[in-house]
Amino acid sequence: MIRLELAAVSSAAPTFSRAFSKGSSRYRQLLPTTNSPIVSNLDFFNSIQGNEQIPTYRILDGVGKPLQGAELPEIDREFARRLYENMQLLPTLDNVLYNVQRQGKISFYMTAHGEEATIVGSAAALELDDEVLGQYRELGVLLWRGFTLDKVMAQCFGNEEDNSGKGRQMPVHFGSPTHHFHTISSPLATQIPQAAGVAYALRRTPSRRSRSIAACFFGEGAASEGDFHAGLMLASTIPSPTLFIARNNGFAISTPSTEQYNGDGIASRGPGYGIDTIRVDGNDILAVISAVREGRRRCLEQGRAVLIEAMSYRVGHHSTSDDSFAYRARAEVEDRKRVDNPITRFRLFMESNGWWDADAEAELKTRLKVDVMKAFKRAESLKRCELGELFTDVYGGEEPWNIREQRKELVGLLKKYGEIYPPWRNELAKFKNNGKDLLN
Amino acid sequence: MVSRLALSRLAPVLNVARASSSAASRRVFRGARPYSTTDNDNTMTVRDALNVAMEEEMLRDETVFILGEEVARYNGAYKVTKGLMDKFGEKRVVDTPITEMGFAGIAVGAALQGLRPICEFMTFNFAMQAIDQIVNSAGKTYYMSGGNVPCPVVFRGPNGAASGVGAQHSQDYAAWYGSVPGLKVVSPWSAEDCKGLLKSAIRDPNPVVFLENEMLYGTSFPMSQEAMSDNFLVPIGKCKVEREGSDITFVGHSKMVSHCMEAAEALAKEGIKAEVINLRSIRPLDIDTIIKSVKKTNRLVIVEGGFPAFGVGSEICAQIVESEAFDYLDAPVERVTGADVPTPYATNLETLAFPDTPLIVKVAKRALYRTN
Repeated sequence: MIRLELAAVSSAAPTFSRAFSKGSSRYRQLLPTTNSPIVSNLDFFNSIQGNEQIPTYRILDGVGKPLQGAELPEIDREFARRLYENMQLLPTLDNVLYNVQRQGKISFYMTAHGEEATIVGSAAALELDDEVLGQYRELGVLLWRGFTLDKVMAQCFGNEEDNSGKGRQMPVHFGSPTHHFHTISSPLATQIPQAAGVAYALRRTPSRRSRSIAACFFGEGAASEGDFHAGLMLASTIPSPTLFIARNNGFAISTPSTEQYNGDGIASRGPGYGIDTIRVDGNDILAVISAVREGRRRCLEQGRAVLIEAMSYRVGHHSTSDDSFAYRARAEVEDRKRVDNPITRFRLFMESNGWWDADAEAELKTRLKVDVMKAFKRAESLKRCELGELFTDVYGGEEPWNIREQRKELVGLLKKYGEIYPPWRNELAKFKNNGKDLLN
Repeated sequence: MVSRLALSRLAPVLNVARASSSAASRRVFRGARPYSTTDNDNTMTVRDALNVAMEEEMLRDETVFILGEEVARYNGAYKVTKGLMDKFGEKRVVDTPITEMGFAGIAVGAALQGLRPICEFMTFNFAMQAIDQIVNSAGKTYYMSGGNVPCPVVFRGPNGAASGVGAQHSQDYAAWYGSVPGLKVVSPWSAEDCKGLLKSAIRDPNPVVFLENEMLYGTSFPMSQEAMSDNFLVPIGKCKVEREGSDITFVGHSKMVSHCMEAAEALAKEGIKAEVINLRSIRPLDIDTIIKSVKKTNRLVIVEGGFPAFGVGSEICAQIVESEAFDYLDAPVERVTGADVPTPYATNLETLAFPDTPLIVKVAKRALYRTN
C-alpha cells in the first residue's frame, strides 16, 4: 500500500530509453534487494529499443584507414608484420590441412577463414601466460605463442610427436600446458564455466594473482548453451578475472545467428550479469587488440569477468563435415570475402604506413607455404605413439587392476601373434618401437 | 531370473511383520560389529566424519577448497560443511549461485588449473544438470590431454533414496558414474569409511564421485583409535569384509550394508553364517574380494538401493559368472534392489520400493534353498 501511494506521488518518473538509464533515487529504500527507482509509468524495455543497438567498436575502416578520432593501439612495423604473418599463416595452414582431410589422410579439420583478425588480435593482446580456454577454432592463439607447425601436424595426424593428446583426439583438439592453452573439449561450451574456475585458481595463486587472467573463446552458438549463462554468472558473482571472447561469426554450423537469439546479440547479455561489455568489429585486428587489452586490464582491476563480442563472418564451412552452401548462397560468401576481408584490411593499413609491399607479400606467401608443406610431409612419415600408450592416462596415480588386466591380455596376444601373423606384424610396424615397449 | 526378480520385488507386500527401515537406518551401530578390536569408546556420526575429513585435508593442503550451494554461511544443506567457513574463510568455502552446471564447471576448471576442489551437490539427483562436466570434462580430460592435465576434483553429496522426497530426489547414481572409465566412484557406509575414503578422494589425482547417503548422516558408528588420527586413509578400490561367515555372501554398499548386517544377525540366530562385504568403492571394483568370498560360501546376494536394470548388482553378477567363482556357486546369484519404478512419494509405497532387512533374509534363505 505504501509503495503504491509513494509511486503515485512520484510524478516526475523517468522514461527508460534503454535498460540501463539512470532514474530518480528518491524511494530506493523501499525495495530491499535493489536500488531501482520507483516510477509510475508502465514501461517495458528490451535490449533492442526501436532501431537502437549496442554499437560496434572499430578503428580501421574497410580499406584500412583509421576512423576519424580513433585511437590506435601501440603498434610499430615489427609488431604489425608479426600480426600480419600470423594472420596469413592461418589460411595457408587451413588450405593445406583442409585438402589433406579431403584426401583422407586426416579424419577431420576446421578452418578459421574469415576470423583471422579476431583470433590473432586476441592472441596478441593477451599476455603469453594468460590461460586460454578455446572452443576449437583458436589455433591462431597457439601459433602466436610459438606452437610449432610440427606440433600442429603431430596433433592432426596423431603421430608419435603429438603431445597435445597422444593421438586420442580428433584433429584441431589442441592443448599445451607450456603455452598455457587448455586442451580443447568436443562438447560445446564446457570451457565457459571452467574458465571461471581457472581464473578463480589464478586468483588463489599468489604468483599469478593480479597478473594473469583466463581468456575464454566461444561462438555465438555456444552462447545458447546453459554453460554460457552459468559461466558468466559465476565469473561475475564469485568474481574471477575471466575474459569471455564471443566470436560471433554468423553461423552455428548451419543455424544463422538471426535464429540463435532474439535480443541484441551476445553483448546484450553482459550487462545482465553485471559485467563490463563491448562489441567489437572482429575483422578489424587493431580494434580487437585495443578491446582485448582494455578488457584484460578491467579483468585484473576488478577481479571480475568482462565480455567481448567480436563480430565476424565464417567464410569457411563449419568443419570438413559440413557443406555450408546447402544453407547459404555461394555468392554471399564470395561477396563477404571481397568486401570485408580482415587480412586485406590490415594489409592496406600496413601498406599505407610503408610497412608492407607486393614483394614482401610474395615472399611471405611462398615461405609460409614451404614451411607448412615441409611440416606436413614430415608428419606423414612419423610413426604413431608407442603401443603401450593405449593404457596410460585413464587414471593418474596407481593403475587400477582392470587396466593392468587389459594390458596383460594384449601382451599375451602380441607374444602369440605379433611376429608370426603378417597383418599384426604390419600393424605393429606403424607404432614407435614396433610395439616392443609392451613386450619388455 | 525374471520371475525371481519380480518375486523379490513383491515379497515385502506379503511380509506383514517387517521392521521399519527408517528406524533401522537410525540405529547406532555401536557394538554391532564384533570384529572390532578397539577398546575405546569413540563414536562419530557420518556427518561429523565427513566434516573432520574435509577439515583435516584443508589444514594439510592449501589448494583444497569447498564450493557449492549454501556450503559456507548456511553450513551446507545437511550441515556437512558446518563450521568450515569460520575456520577457513570465504575464499576456501565458497557459496555459489544455484547452477550445478556452473559450479561443477568452476570446480573442474579450478582442478585443471592446479587446485583441489571439493564440489558439494545438494543431492546427486541435481548433479544430473552437471553430468557433462563430471563425465566428459572431469572424467576424460586427463586421457584426452595425453596425460598433460590431471583433474583432481571430488564431487560429493547425498545419493540414493532419502525419505518422502519423490522420484526426482531418490535415485542412486552409483551405476551411472561407475560405468565411466576415468572416474573413481566410492559409496561409503560407516563413519570410518566416510572419513578415510573422503581423505583418500581429496588426495587422489583423479576425479572422484563420492556418494553419501542422507539417511546415514546422523548415524553414529564406532571409530577406532587409528581412524581418529589425521592420517587415517581408506584405500579407494578395496572393499571391506564387515562380518565373516561361511554360508552365504552379502555384498552391499552405503545404507544397504546396514540392512545386510542386520540380516546377517537375524540369520545367525538360525545358525546361518552370512559374510557381509561392504563394497566401499564402485569403481575400481574390488571383485577379487567378492570372488574369494563366493568361493568360500558358494552363494551370493547383492543388495543395492538403485534400480535393478544395468545396476551395480548386475555388474557384480556378470563379473562373478565370468570368473572362476562361477564354478563354486551352489545357487543362482540373487540381486535385491530398488524396485524398477519411479520412486513413489506415498510413504507406504516408498517403503516397499527399497530393500529392507526382512527381504534380504528372505532372499538369503531362498539362495540357501531353505523355506519357511
